[in-house]
Amino acid sequence: MPSAKYLIIGSSHAGLCALDAIRLQDTEGSVTLITRDESLPYSPTILPYVVSGDADPEKIFLRDQKAMDHLNVTFLKGETVTTVDTKAHSVRLSSGESLSYEKLLLATGATPVLPPVTGLEDEPHHVLRTLDDAMKLRTALENKHTALVVGAGLIGMHAAENLAKIGVDVTIVEALPHVLPDYFDEDGASLIQQAFSDKGIKMHLGCTMKQVARSNGAQLVTLNSGETISSDLVLVATGVRPSIDYLSEADIEVDQGILVDDRMRTSADGVWAAGDVVQAPGFFDSEKRLNGTLPDASEQGRIAGMDMVGDSALKPYKGGIGMNTYKFFGHRAFSIGLIKEANTGSDGREEDRVSAPDLEEDRVFSPASQRYQKLVFQDDRLVGALSINTDLDPGVMFEVIRRRIDLKDMKAQFVDHPQETGRILMTKVWR
Amino acid sequence: MGKGYPTIAFYPEKCNGCNDCVEACAQIKTETSEPVHSRISVAKDPDDEFYGLSLCRQCGDPRCVMDCPARALTKNEDTGVVHWDETKCVNCQICTLACPYAGITYNRITDQVMKCDLCNGDPACVKACAPMALEYKIGAEIYNTWGDLEDLFVPGVGACLGCNSELIMRHTLRRIGPNTVVATPPGCIPGVGSVGVNGITSTKTPVFHPLLTNTASMLAGVKRYYNRIGRDVTMLALAGDGGAADVGFQSLSGAAERGEQMIFVCVDNEGYMNTGVQRSSTTPYGAWTTTTPVGEALQGKTRDAKPLPLLMVLHSCEYVATAALPFMEDFYMKLDKAIEASKRGMAFIHIFSPCPTGWRFDPSQLIEVARKGVETNMVPLWEYENDLGRINITHVVNEPLPVVTYLKSIGKYRHLSDEQLVYIQRKTDERFELLKKFTKESKLEGLSDAA
Amino acid sequence: MGKILVCDGNEAAAWGVARSKPDMVAVFPITPQSSLAEYISQFVADGVIKADLMDVEGEHSVLSVLQGACLAGARTYTASCGQGLAFMFEPYFRSAPLRLPLVMSIVTRDGITPQSVWGGQQDAMTVRETGWIHMYCETCQEILDTVIMAYRIAENRDVMLPVNVNHDGNYLSYGVEKVELPEEEEVDAFMGEKNTNWHVALDPDRPMGVDPLTGGAGGVGPSLFVSYRKGHCKGMQNALRVITEVHEEWGERFGRYYAPLVEEYRLDDADYAIVTIGSMSGAGKDAVDAAREEGEKVGLIKIKTFRPFPLQALRDALAKVKAVGVVDRSVSFAWNSGPVYQELLSALYFLDNRIPAVSFIGGLAGADITIDHFKRVIDTTARTLQGEVPSECIWLNEND
Repeated sequence: MPSAKYLIIGSSHAGLCALDAIRLQDTEGSVTLITRDESLPYSPTILPYVVSGDADPEKIFLRDQKAMDHLNVTFLKGETVTTVDTKAHSVRLSSGESLSYEKLLLATGATPVLPPVTGLEDEPHHVLRTLDDAMKLRTALENKHTALVVGAGLIGMHAAENLAKIGVDVTIVEALPHVLPDYFDEDGASLIQQAFSDKGIKMHLGCTMKQVARSNGAQLVTLNSGETISSDLVLVATGVRPSIDYLSEADIEVDQGILVDDRMRTSADGVWAAGDVVQAPGFFDSEKRLNGTLPDASEQGRIAGMDMVGDSALKPYKGGIGMNTYKFFGHRAFSIGLIKEANTGSDGREEDRVSAPDLEEDRVFSPASQRYQKLVFQDDRLVGALSINTDLDPGVMFEVIRRRIDLKDMKAQFVDHPQETGRILMTKVWR
Repeated sequence: MGKGYPTIAFYPEKCNGCNDCVEACAQIKTETSEPVHSRISVAKDPDDEFYGLSLCRQCGDPRCVMDCPARALTKNEDTGVVHWDETKCVNCQICTLACPYAGITYNRITDQVMKCDLCNGDPACVKACAPMALEYKIGAEIYNTWGDLEDLFVPGVGACLGCNSELIMRHTLRRIGPNTVVATPPGCIPGVGSVGVNGITSTKTPVFHPLLTNTASMLAGVKRYYNRIGRDVTMLALAGDGGAADVGFQSLSGAAERGEQMIFVCVDNEGYMNTGVQRSSTTPYGAWTTTTPVGEALQGKTRDAKPLPLLMVLHSCEYVATAALPFMEDFYMKLDKAIEASKRGMAFIHIFSPCPTGWRFDPSQLIEVARKGVETNMVPLWEYENDLGRINITHVVNEPLPVVTYLKSIGKYRHLSDEQLVYIQRKTDERFELLKKFTKESKLEGLSDAA
Repeated sequence: MGKILVCDGNEAAAWGVARSKPDMVAVFPITPQSSLAEYISQFVADGVIKADLMDVEGEHSVLSVLQGACLAGARTYTASCGQGLAFMFEPYFRSAPLRLPLVMSIVTRDGITPQSVWGGQQDAMTVRETGWIHMYCETCQEILDTVIMAYRIAENRDVMLPVNVNHDGNYLSYGVEKVELPEEEEVDAFMGEKNTNWHVALDPDRPMGVDPLTGGAGGVGPSLFVSYRKGHCKGMQNALRVITEVHEEWGERFGRYYAPLVEEYRLDDADYAIVTIGSMSGAGKDAVDAAREEGEKVGLIKIKTFRPFPLQALRDALAKVKAVGVVDRSVSFAWNSGPVYQELLSALYFLDNRIPAVSFIGGLAGADITIDHFKRVIDTTARTLQGEVPSECIWLNEND
């Protein structure tokens, strides 16, 4: 049986960051990297841009073969893991071959979830998680005039915007009352919705898809409101779930995702997990939850790699923080941390978040200039930041949150000048 | 081994918020003076006059590169610059979330991110910074140039916590290389373990204990014989101030006068630290030692330190320099010159070596204490090249700190009275003025001025 | 037959150096060695000695540069005495434990204070416990020959110790005699191929830590330290054999046989003997001859090699007599007698019968030890056979 000292399943951000961390300390130990794709490594985040043509599918790869060779990595494409035997320290691959490992990293990412809709499984529809999905969608768009995007998460919204930009008539259906519910509050979402609406994108919020059927070459979608929408194409972007089906027989603890500790160790000896596949401790409390953001995947991958190779510089995972940047129609937004908890009630998702009554917020909301800024504090520490079209550095805000910097006397100054004060704080930290 | 890269260093205490850097950056990148286009920006803290810098640090392990989904950001292996490829960027802004220093920022005019590219190694902002709050540091070149060379000193040596002797040993030996005979007379260097204990040595070159008194003479003998048989071997002495300025001075002076070919490094910790902190001739005025105690009648040493490096200049050594480890590029530059000079005659390097144990300060402050010594002009960094015939100050301190900022950071000066502080400031100024007189173009002019 | 010179002892030593072909010489002038320093410098200037001359700033550095050169594999030479030796003492003290095959002449001089610049063996005798080999010469010819032999002894792998070739200040340093200078080729043949690069060294081709901290109360330290000391003692004992062999070979090659350790002069039928060291031995032998003319059955024992101490040779000589008088040219302050006398007493311990022994001290600070002085030595020693044993040391120049 072929063997690898380090076996990494999944070649997106988590897998690659782990690989780099391992090679920083151990340039000799054998590494095998496996991806389900037939292509070189890429990021799922790039896919909406591939669909729109903003990104050249030939140039999106995070590493080329030369880099793999340089790192002395055995890179297996088009392979998935079917079972993991944690006792024997081996995995079985879809090719039927088995591979033994000393240390295993599971970074198998996530899979789109399809909502229970009558007819959906029989009708042609699109999802967007792999490069293959993106290329199919891109091809399908040729000569298509209308598209229905189900789900107003980041993938759905990016896809909708990019489809609109190439002249497709787009309609969005979202079950919750506003778009991007994971990242923005109602006020924030309202600015985004306005921008979409201004570009002629129709939105059906608080609606679910009930049925899909074919009619005169087009797809006819019926919503729970009874309304019907005819569309040339349907993209389902109602979320993802960790890809863990192959672990059903394995002796590794899973919940919604693979459960890991603050070093990305799973319950099984010699097995780590990182990225969208894991359920890891949160930042604001220790409860393990799905996070599924790109920066978190990188961080988790790096920690896993460092732990696998025994890097003494490792600092344990501080916990997942919900965050993302969002660029839409020339506007710039981001959201970090606890941005919705201070005014709960306007949406229905607060149960997914930490409930903390002692939060206070500072808001600047000016719909006329399409600007919104919200800073959320807890005990003089920043715990959340949201910005639409204001001058804030997302990375600086993230770091102020992550380091739990006690602003004390600087809080008033921070509220008045968050950008400058944040930059000064970071200069002092750096120094 | 990896690679080190140049960076732009920022000294907030020197910044005056003039924003010339911002304008210079905008000019060179867009030919406008619009601050919005600048890759560098300075934020002022209204309360404590502190300036915060936003600028790409060109991180060694850049989060922005790790997090970019489009591979539009890469770290250039040759230059170390984190490179942004506009053609690949999809404007997702995730990089701005990855950077805690606002080193890559959103430009609302161009609707794109932007970041510093170090101007191809000649950063405009640094050139524009009059108060020299920005400095283009190429110290990492030391690592690139010499990092792969073998460390000739074994790990696990017995130095006190925070001692710079180990750093000196490793850096010096690594640079000079194995074709070297190393003399370490009694003192802290062999105390650290240079020659070893009970039949086991700690150094991968030939190394020996000369007497405290005869280091330069023994090395001279070794060198002369190798010259006689046509072998080119470098001689290196690592001696303390006792072995150089006091009981070792006769042989050092004799060897310098004869032009013996060697690199003689004086590791000056201003006293006999290895024997338990007694005074030496380089112990400064006012310093406490166990033989210049503080009591009713006496408050530390009553005489000034012997200016050994200047004495060596007057011996017409091929090369004389002072050095301090916070200024590593300066030290390496001087090592380079010393190696060359030692092929012709005596090269003498005097390393200012604060001693946490003997001077009574926190070991973590070693480099800071040494830096303050330099920045108060108590220990000016300079070099003398015999063929040029004059002293060149290699690290110019534009606005020297008052000596009290240095003295107050060290326990051995804790007792100093106001009068003593005034005296030390005056002597420091006088000595620096004297030193400057040796910096004239002409050797004769410099000497006559000094006289 | 080599060239015949008429020269003093300092020049003879310089010729010995020239024939020995050292790589490096270093000298710092001090009376009565100064002319030797000048001869060496002139010989280097004339190309007679093809060595690097180190014109260093004092005796301390003289021996230091030579130690350095020797650690790089050089053959070296120097000469000093008196205060120069005292100033050199720090590096001198460690030369032998470093097992460096240095050769050095001590042109013996009395110690100060009182201030003095004249001969006497107080300098060499004072450093007798530093682990160097000490040989004392009687004539200018012996100086020249012994300097050359000293290298063969020092560089012998069973010895590997520094050698002092001592000759008396004033009496030998300035005394002119007929001296035969051996041919260069013959000395080359005697010396053989130079090979000193196997000893302790400072050589990047075979790096080692020379003189790590050694000893302490635990670990391997104590035993390691003892092993170094015992090795040193072994080298000293081996030197007794090597010195003898080298002197024999010298005699075979050059026709000049010297007693390597202890010379016995008219001893075989002697009732008693006098003991001498260095240049006084000539006057001593004349005095013995004169006494023999008068029927005194007296002989002479000359000590050439004082370090290592020639115990067996001295025992064998002393076993032949019933009384002994020892003439020292220096003082052992602690014993109120001479150092040679004191050490000879140790040899007497090994005899079957205890015999009387008298200590004489003479020739301090350049004073002459005349034949008359030796007559007194002989008379005094003879009277001990009648039970007249002096209670303390006799100072020969006390009334001069």
